[in-house]
Amino acid sequence: MTEPVRLAILGCGAITRSEHIPAVSAHPGVHLVALVDTDLPRANALIQNRGLSCKAVTDYREVLGEVDAVINALPNHLHVSTNMDCLRAGVHVLCEKPLAITAAGARSCTEFADEKKLVLGVGMNRRFAASHPLLKLVIEEDLLGSIQDYDFQYGGAFDWRSASGFYFDRAKAGGGALLDFGVHMLDSVIDWFGPVSAFDYQDDDWGSGIEANLFLDVKHAGQFGDIRGHLRLSRTFELKNRMLVRGSAASAEISVHDPEVVVIHRALGGAPVSETLRLEKFPGGSSYCRQLDNFVQSIANRGKPEVDGWQAVRVLELIESCYAHKRRIAEPWAEIGAETGTKSGTTMGTTTGTATVTANSETRT
Amino acid sequence: MNWRNETVFVTGATGFIGGRVCERMMQAGVPQIKVRALVHGMHRAARIARMPVELCPGDLLDRASLRQALGEAKVVIHCGLGPASSIVRGTENLLAVAHAGGVKRFIHVSTAAIYGITPPPGSESEDAPLRRTGDPYCDNKAAAEKVVLNYGKRGLPVVILRPSIVWGPYSAWSTRLIDDLRAWRVAFIESGHGACNTTYVDNLIDAMVLGLEDDRALNQAFFITDGERVSWGDFIRAHMALLEAPPEVREISRAEIEAGRGRSSGLLLGSMKATARVARSKEFRQMLMQIPLTEAAMKKAWTWISSLPPEKRERLRAHLGVRRAAAKSANAKFIPDAVTEATQSTTVFFSIEKARKMLGYEPRIRFADGMKLVEQWLRYAAYL
Repeated sequence: MTEPVRLAILGCGAITRSEHIPAVSAHPGVHLVALVDTDLPRANALIQNRGLSCKAVTDYREVLGEVDAVINALPNHLHVSTNMDCLRAGVHVLCEKPLAITAAGARSCTEFADEKKLVLGVGMNRRFAASHPLLKLVIEEDLLGSIQDYDFQYGGAFDWRSASGFYFDRAKAGGGALLDFGVHMLDSVIDWFGPVSAFDYQDDDWGSGIEANLFLDVKHAGQFGDIRGHLRLSRTFELKNRMLVRGSAASAEISVHDPEVVVIHRALGGAPVSETLRLEKFPGGSSYCRQLDNFVQSIANRGKPEVDGWQAVRVLELIESCYAHKRRIAEPWAEIGAETGTKSGTTMGTTTGTATVTANSETRT
Repeated sequence: MNWRNETVFVTGATGFIGGRVCERMMQAGVPQIKVRALVHGMHRAARIARMPVELCPGDLLDRASLRQALGEAKVVIHCGLGPASSIVRGTENLLAVAHAGGVKRFIHVSTAAIYGITPPPGSESEDAPLRRTGDPYCDNKAAAEKVVLNYGKRGLPVVILRPSIVWGPYSAWSTRLIDDLRAWRVAFIESGHGACNTTYVDNLIDAMVLGLEDDRALNQAFFITDGERVSWGDFIRAHMALLEAPPEVREISRAEIEAGRGRSSGLLLGSMKATARVARSKEFRQMLMQIPLTEAAMKKAWTWISSLPPEKRERLRAHLGVRRAAAKSANAKFIPDAVTEATQSTTVFFSIEKARKMLGYEPRIRFADGMKLVEQWLRYAAYL
């Protein structure tokens, strides 16, 4: 039997509490050496509450000599420098998404990992939900007929209780909803349908760089030919929260809330029917457990993890292009001139500072 | 005063009114106006985080945090609320910090509901005497006004605005009504004649701007509405018109509501004998497995019984020994809850003459235009 992977978790925020610690605790091939957080009492409290037998430290560099691997769950802007330090010390990295807040940052640590022949996995846990490979099979086995397009919506009142609150700080988060959750959606659709060859992007950023809503229309040029997709993401409104792929014979749906199954919608004698597909013999545990297992197997085999840095680079390059070519979502209810409201003639609510949408509806390539 | 060179501090900034205040401030001219937003729950800040406003963590109940959040701001727009029991303390904390910080203008967003959920005839103008209403929100908002005026006497330049039903994009008045209409939980109380006193959010913000600019506003309270005699029936019908499959909304009198409530409590709470039978009944035990057993269980039990097909209701009634006529008529109509009934039962249309005369306030978003904007927003927000 191989030795267990000695591991440290960097950052004791929300995702570490809710997912990484349970996954690490459940994996027989992982030995947790340390929790790292600048807030030492927070790390210690977590160790105590979860009955862990590891230590708590404030600086990850203290433990790099004692571990084989880390899970990097620090705020986004710290990912690259931390990953580089770990890789330099010969430590494998499973980095939370986004791998970096710029494509260049992601590229630099990916190249460095390749050079050092170390595993750099990216936390795309949705790849490890059963629906991800299942939808691939559904498409490949031609259950839907010729694919027309897809509609992918995810949205609800933002309720991520981040310990550091970095999400709304542009310098630390790197962007808004697109960089935060959009990386999952884009990673999935690129894996299903191939690279994006054209896009049209709109968001509701009013100058902070932290968009809450976005519309992204894309065109894929992959093995299934040209496929158009519509993505919508919101941190303020409850959306349909599902991926729907429309084909000539049937549609396939994945609910964000039940990502273990794919529901096929079609007509039977003119009547609409649905059937639920489930992968049998699919490993149990959460998607984070399966992701961790894939990381551990990659270390053991010196193989490529399911999602490596290069895939993250492709997604981040697309996101950067979106941001570079963005248009403002039209919000006519917000664009109210205030000419009659104030008797002094001075106004509140003119278009100053609210960049009028200059509609360039051409799909960018 | 010339407030446009000042930093503006907004409380309640993650809410409906405060969020729109932040947007309007941005539109009024960044970077001349710097906006600091008090944020109690950072996770609720998605709407305002997309603007270059300073998100300042803090709590109205914690003066030290307020001092830090206020910073050098000299204009305060207080839309913050918190639980009813802490409205007064939160407002007083903010006033104290603002006073000590040399704030030049303090706009206090009060409410016309200081006269009650059902303001009585005679409360049309601002000089109507206040009396206790028994409702914690109303009474605490009224008490907060007194504290604001006390600080006004001590030299803090304060202005009080009393909007009524503040509506517009992001308002729960519209989203909840749409949800309720879809669930057939809406009735025209007394033919929908109650006064709605709509206050479109941008009209309210226009009034805030006037309050900032005009010194005659100091130490004064102003009713702020759309100045139109929009009834609750109008408001409900305007929302029904947005639905593809609008429900049947029936008229109900207050007497019927009263009688309906009496019957429902008579069925489930009033009679110990009946309650014991309910508890023994198979249907009730099955029902308990379907609903969480909370203090609302009895209310839900009634809803559940009302939702049964007629033949099942009949069987249950026979089992419980409930008089048939009473239950039948109670089931026939949706009975609005007490707060909805109270809210939609006022005959008072608040007068905005004082704001018109003293400040030149003129509501520029008419009800019909506001509805168009709300409809556009509801579609965008995936409610329609």
